[in-house]
Amino acid sequence: MSTGTADSGEGVTGDRRTRAGERERGTGSLRTLLWAQLKKRLLLMYRYPLNTLTGLAMNFVFFGMIFFGGRAVAGQALTDSLGGIIVGYFLWSMALGAFSGVARSVTKESEWGTLEQLYMSPFGYGRVMVASVAVALLETLAWGAATLAFMLAVTGEALHLPVATVLVLTLFAIAPAVGLGFFFGGLALVYKRVENIFNVMQFVLVGLIAAPTVGVVWVRLLPITQGSYLLTLAMAEGLRLWELPPADLALLVGTAVVYFGVGYAAFQRLGVRARRQGLMGHY
Amino acid sequence: MTTAHDRVATDRTDATEDGNGPGAAETDPPLSVRGLSKTFGEGEEAVRAVDDVSLDVEPGTVVGVLGPNGAGKTTLIKSILGLVVADEGDVRLAGADVSDEPRAAYARVGAMLEGARNVYWRLTVRENLEYFAAIGGESPSAVDDRHDALLEQLSLAEKADETVNDLSRGQKQKVSLACALARNVEVAFLDEPTLGLDVESAVDLRREIRRLADQEDMTIVLSSHDMDVVQEVCDRVVIMADGEVIADDAVADLIDVFRTAAYRVVVGRAEVGAGADATPPDGTGAEVLDDDTRERLRETYGVGAFDDRGDRTAFEVSLGDPQRFYELMDALRAADLTVHAVESVDPDLEEVFLELTGGDGSSRASDAGRSGRAARADGGDRP
Repeated sequence: MSTGTADSGEGVTGDRRTRAGERERGTGSLRTLLWAQLKKRLLLMYRYPLNTLTGLAMNFVFFGMIFFGGRAVAGQALTDSLGGIIVGYFLWSMALGAFSGVARSVTKESEWGTLEQLYMSPFGYGRVMVASVAVALLETLAWGAATLAFMLAVTGEALHLPVATVLVLTLFAIAPAVGLGFFFGGLALVYKRVENIFNVMQFVLVGLIAAPTVGVVWVRLLPITQGSYLLTLAMAEGLRLWELPPADLALLVGTAVVYFGVGYAAFQRLGVRARRQGLMGHY
Repeated sequence: MTTAHDRVATDRTDATEDGNGPGAAETDPPLSVRGLSKTFGEGEEAVRAVDDVSLDVEPGTVVGVLGPNGAGKTTLIKSILGLVVADEGDVRLAGADVSDEPRAAYARVGAMLEGARNVYWRLTVRENLEYFAAIGGESPSAVDDRHDALLEQLSLAEKADETVNDLSRGQKQKVSLACALARNVEVAFLDEPTLGLDVESAVDLRREIRRLADQEDMTIVLSSHDMDVVQEVCDRVVIMADGEVIADDAVADLIDVFRTAAYRVVVGRAEVGAGADATPPDGTGAEVLDDDTRERLRETYGVGAFDDRGDRTAFEVSLGDPQRFYELMDALRAADLTVHAVESVDPDLEEVFLELTGGDGSSRASDAGRSGRAARADGGDRP
């Protein structure tokens, strides 16, 4: 926000100048924005506990179905790859949360009639969305951690959990999902009804996370795939960040930056297109 | 009539004379629009939603944007706010160019665009205020007092801790207005602020809008179909039709243009004495005005419908030049008619609006000139 100095004039004109100065100055910072988004999310979760708990329970139930169903069908084969499944499921729930945090929020805000209010924030719509994503990521991390603990408890599997390494790798791994979220969120601004794409994305994310990376280098250029590969490596073999191959880390950071950047840029472009067509407030 | 317009002009003169000459930011009106145009679609399906609109709005002024459905009111407001990208034109809001410096402009602007839908229904009233203050760049704790005052003024204080979902429609709408004003803003845009409100809520809203302009020097642009709201609350009215501004003037002046020479005239036959009734009770019998006289009144004075009631006939006539009133009186006497009553017809804003837009929403821009001011400058001729 721009800053301004209040004049000390007197009378009506002076008062007006003082008020104008106050208006320019503002008192909020980016922290204010972040806190506002976080508080809103927490309030909604607190106010609707059943909805919140159901979401978490569905995560557990879904994994339970995969685990117990898979064990009944595949037996030893599933047990052999259990570590990979747990890491994959953890990453999938995180990526899906990050993707939905952006893409679905655009649709919801549009539906609620609040999208234009967010667009008119002096912080800029992009920053408002990034703050919203940051909150979504925090929520996703909390849910992911709970889901991971549940999975380990149910399966009795032991994974190495170097927390800092897992956290950093997870953030870079899901950054492309955030980029995809921005891209599809941008499409939602223009085309509005894109929920079916969102639904399909759940399966696309599974494919990206489970894509074979050994021996097929180009696959690692796909979003999330490299993150999935490194996260599995770190959690299954207990490797720390500095023990991972630098080239692999560079590829992880590169894909994260590119997919996030391209997705964000597309979101901005599609936002302009929506405003050209007068669609910003439509649903 | 002294309008906020005049008041501000006086304030500015004083400032200059005091030697506190206004800087560039002060000379910028809170809202300045130049040549704003927007077309949706292409080719034969293209719709010119906003057509070369220019206007300046001074501080503390409430401007009402009126127009029939599809006139371009909402597109104009959204184009001003940058929510719709205009094809041409410049907009400066609170001294900032909306295209080049949107964040600076938005720092001083609040808007209520979707009525009651503008807020989060699952948050409480106060939580909404705090949230919108925060995303508007203001720390909620810094505007606590403002929120208390807003809640009080909008009769929402007792509902502050209730979720919006549990409120009535009128209350939701008031929450929406409060959120648009949840921080210190210089300009507020209100799209149909009283739509669907009960009488009490509408009165609260009108009072608050007027107070904001008068006491906080806020510039307010509101669009509405409710003529009473515009007439009561606005200092100035912009009437749109087919994307164009067809009138732009102070409300009182605009009405005056139409008030100057509109009369309701009641005539009877000269040979029938006052109080006598030559017409049978069934209403049949000779009419007061013969066909030739009616035709002459239509052609010469633009009289529309005649209301025949026994020995009296009434008609309304609008005369651009007051001198023509005397000509009309002479013409009626020459036709052996007695004038029983002449009443000045005071139009309200609704009649002005219907006259300018052709009643069915079709513009009479070409007749009216580009503004009410133009119409008045032509000697008060009714467009």
